[in-house]
Parts: sequence; structure tokens; C-alpha cells
Amino acid sequence: MSLGFDREWQLDELLDEASREKIGPALRELLRGDFALTDGAGQALWGQPSADARREPLILELEAVGYLLSSTAPAAALSAARDLLLTLLRAQIRFKMASTLHLEAVAEDFESLKREHARLSESEARYKTLSAELESRVKKQVDQLEERQQMLYEAEKLASVGQLAAGMAHEINNPLGFVRSNLSTFEKYVGKFAEMKTASGPAAESWRVLDLDFILEDSIDLLHDSAKGMERIARIVADLKAFSNVDRASEEYADLNNCLHEAVRMLETQTPAGIGFHFDLLPLPAIVCLPGHINQLFFNILRNAVLAIKDAGRPGEVRISSEADDEGIHIRIHDTGVGMSQEQIEHAFEPFYTTRPVGAGVGLGLATARNVVQAHSGRISLDSQPDVGTTVTLFFPTPP
Amino acid sequence: MPESDARHLSFKLVYYGPAQSGKTTNLFRLHDQLAPELKGELMTMETKDDRTLFFDLLPLGFRAPSGLLIKFRLFTVPGQVAHDGTRKAVLSRADGVVFVADADRAQETNNGESFQSLAANCARVGLDFEHLPMVVQFNKCDLPNAVPEAEIRERWSAAPWPLVFAVALNGQGIESTFELLLRAVYRNFGEKLELLAQHGLDENAFVAGALGKAA
Repeated sequence: MSLGFDREWQLDELLDEASREKIGPALRELLRGDFALTDGAGQALWGQPSADARREPLILELEAVGYLLSSTAPAAALSAARDLLLTLLRAQIRFKMASTLHLEAVAEDFESLKREHARLSESEARYKTLSAELESRVKKQVDQLEERQQMLYEAEKLASVGQLAAGMAHEINNPLGFVRSNLSTFEKYVGKFAEMKTASGPAAESWRVLDLDFILEDSIDLLHDSAKGMERIARIVADLKAFSNVDRASEEYADLNNCLHEAVRMLETQTPAGIGFHFDLLPLPAIVCLPGHINQLFFNILRNAVLAIKDAGRPGEVRISSEADDEGIHIRIHDTGVGMSQEQIEHAFEPFYTTRPVGAGVGLGLATARNVVQAHSGRISLDSQPDVGTTVTLFFPTPP
Repeated sequence: MPESDARHLSFKLVYYGPAQSGKTTNLFRLHDQLAPELKGELMTMETKDDRTLFFDLLPLGFRAPSGLLIKFRLFTVPGQVAHDGTRKAVLSRADGVVFVADADRAQETNNGESFQSLAANCARVGLDFEHLPMVVQFNKCDLPNAVPEAEIRERWSAAPWPLVFAVALNGQGIESTFELLLRAVYRNFGEKLELLAQHGLDENAFVAGALGKAA
């Protein structure tokens, strides 16, 4: 710390070589020939101090920093020269101290600026990270909002489609009822006409002329066709009603494995040869559900599986597996049928989307399935590869 | 620690405080009032509007019975906020501090800020603020809007430092401030420097020597 501004300055620091060269000759002139300057310890800085010289101390603070000596100058001249030199030294020490202090202060200010700069850089980096983080969070939330909005839109669309379906089913059911009833009554009436066949006389002649044998036979065929058509309409209406949940059933405890068996039983009667069912079911906890709807759900999916194998035109198998874990029940229904294209998968759950010819499918199977799954807070997903097969994965949460 | 060699012991004492609280005036009065064995000239570095730009320096000294020359170098810091770097440089290596506060009620904020800067700067220049010998002087107590003594005492009651109420312009409280600082300095360094054992100086003799009064 000896280089601080507040150190005790030595004479040789205050009077450097150059300034000594300037004031030395002047002082020698003033002091009439002989003059010497020593530092506080008596070391000569100028001239040779002689033993008999007069000596004046140079005191800047408390102690002499040096001495002015002359053997030729009178006492008054020596002390006058000392005062002159002191004035010079005071100006010098003030300048030296001030400039040294100034350097220290500037260095210190620079240090604190550097500290401040480091602090600012650090906080800038922190804010940058924070802003990036915020940006990504906002983006995530916007994405989430958009997704929700899309879901809401879909749900509303589904709801209005459901309402339409329910209304239509109701309106169609009434005329359907009386048309079916009328058709069967009409069949009886045709039977009555048939009795005329055995009659004799002019009636028999007319029967032959009018070829009523053919008409009678064809009428009955037509009536049967109409009845089948009506049945088809009735089935479509029933699908629509199931889709729109018109028939609200009551909730019950049910084992989904039983529901799967039931759905398969319903389907087996209409399953062509070469298509087998394979069960791989683990014990499941009973869950509260709408068994009628669940049956419908499984039936729809299993029917799709069977149809997919049929479309492939080769023997195949429907594998049904189930298992339960802490979260809920997992069910997989896999078929080795035609599979689905990416586009088909995307639209599969939309109501009235079908790949079958008009009249063969309504396009409500998976839409209904999804409605049922969602009504049970579950999830349904499709995984498929064209020509390899399709897997439908279902999940139903169990209460903890 | 004070700088010392075999024959010298030099204490650096710093008058710290807000702008125009009377630090330089303290040194002027001490220069007038004290008569120690050795007293140097007061070196001031004022700008023309009487504001200290760098520092003021008053050297005082006396000789202990052992022959040891004990020197006191009294510095003031520039009070203006802008000169913090200079203030820090002057404060470094201090052995004792007088905090000169302005008793004017309007200056309370400045006092507080300056005191905080003192604590912060002590830490930066490596001084132990907790154990630094210090006296707090409230100057300008004669002002009509000065904060009353009782209120100040109440407010500083928890602080460990002695309080002095002063009017630097007429010299009141100046010498006692310095005396209290000398006592604090002696208690802090006296034993370590063996002032009594080696140099025959007890606290009263130390104070008397510095003030220039017979013990």
C-alpha cells in the first residue's frame, strides 16, 4: 500500500531529476555559490553538503523531508530560499497527491463499472432466458387453446348432428311403423285374393286371362322385398338412435369381458366361414357403465373388423385382448383385414363417413363408438396399415 | 492497521459524510484549537465554490515517552455523490472514521444515503465496519430546523457509536468528537501496538498528546 496517494512522499519523488536541474542553478545563484540539498536521511540530492554549512529543514507535514544547506549564504537568505522551495514543494505535493488519488479513483470507478456491467450482462441473460421461456409457454397455451377450440367445434358439430339424427329417427319411425303394419296386413289380403284361384265359372276364366297366377306370386315377392327394405330402414334408424343416445339406459356395474363375449355372440351368426375370433382376456374389475351402449360399441368395432377381413377376401382372425392396470382397463381389438389408409384413419370417427357403397353402410359405427367411449371418460384410437390390418385400442379409466 | 516502523506510528483518520455537512470545517477548527507538539499546515484542495474536490489533510503528531513519533493524518472525503470513487480511495487504509452528519431535518435522506455508502465502501476497501473505531457527529445543531437532540439519540440508541452534537462554525463539539475518536482508536489498536507496554502511553496520555494538553 506504499504507493497510495496518502503515503508520505519523499523529497526525491517530489523533485525529480529534471526539476532539480532547473532549480539547482537558480538556488546556487541565490545562495551565493554553495548549496546542497539532502533528503530526510541526509543523502545528497544536489551538491556536496559541507560540514560547516548552515542547515534549514524542509517540513511539509510534521517532519523534515529534507534539508537545504549552504556555507556561503547568510541566514536570512537561506531561510528565504527555504520558504521559496517549500512553496514549490507544497504545490508539487498537492499535484502529486491529487493526481495519484485521481488515478486510484478512476481505477476504482472503472472497477465498479465493470462490476455493474457484469451484473447487467447477467440480468440481461436472465431476462433473455425468461422471455424465451415465456414465448414458448405462450405458444404452448395458444396451441392448447386452438386445440380446445377445435375440439369444441367438433363437439358442437357432433351435438347438432346427433340432434338432427334423433329428430330424423323419430320422424321416420312413425311412418315406418304404419307402413310395416300395413304391409303385413296387405300380405294377408293378398292371401284372401289367392282363394279366388280355386273358384270356377267366369271368374276362373278371367283369372287365367289376366294371368293372376303370376301377379299373385310377384305381389308376394314384392311385399317381401318391401318388408326387407323396411327392416333396413328400421336398422338404420336404430343406428341413428344409438348414435344420438336417444335410448338412455341406466348405469350398471358390468364386466367388460362379458360385454365382449356378448357382442361376439351377436356377430357370430352373420360371420362368414374362414373368420375366427380369438380371445385373450385377463380378469377385469367391474366398472359402472351403460352396458347397452358398451355392447353397441363393441359390436360396431367387431363388425368393422369382420367386414375388413371379408373385404380382404382371405381367411383371417379377430384378436380381442383386455387387461387392467392402476389407471384403468385396456382393450385391443385387432383384425387381419384390409386395413385403412391415412386419409381413412383421419376421417374414421366422423359421422356419416363410410367407404362402403350407398345403402351398405351409414357411416355411424365408429362415430357412435367414440360417443360411447367419451361418455365413459375413455379414449379410443386407431392404428392401421393397408393390407396388414387394423388395431382399435380402447381405454376406460377405473376410479382410484 | 496503522503504518509503522521503529520510530514512527501513523494513524489515518477520515472524516466522512454527506456534501456540505462540515467535514472541512471540522479540520479548520481542529487546526485552530489543538496545540500538539507537532502540527502541520492544513492542506486543502477546494474548488472555488468551497466544495472539496479530492481531500483535505491535517497532520498532527507528538512524541511518546519512548521517543516514538505518533502521527495523525486527518483526511476529509469529498461529500458530493458523484465522487464516490475518490471517496473510496480516501477511505481505504483508514484507522478511524468520524461520520459528520447534517442535523438539518431536510438533510436526513442525504445522511442516510451517505452512511450506507460508508458501510458499503468500507466493505469494498476491506475495512471491518463492525469494529472500525467511529464517532458520529451531528453538525449544525444550532440551525432552527435542526432535528432535536433527543430525537436523534432515540433513533441512534441501538447503534454502538458515540454521538456528538456540534456546531463546527463556532467550534462547539469539534474537539470532543476528535477526543472520542482518539479513545476509540486507542482501545482498538493500543494493545496490539503495545503502546503502554513498549512506549509508556496510556489512553489518557495518548489523547492528551494528540490534543496538545498536559495529561
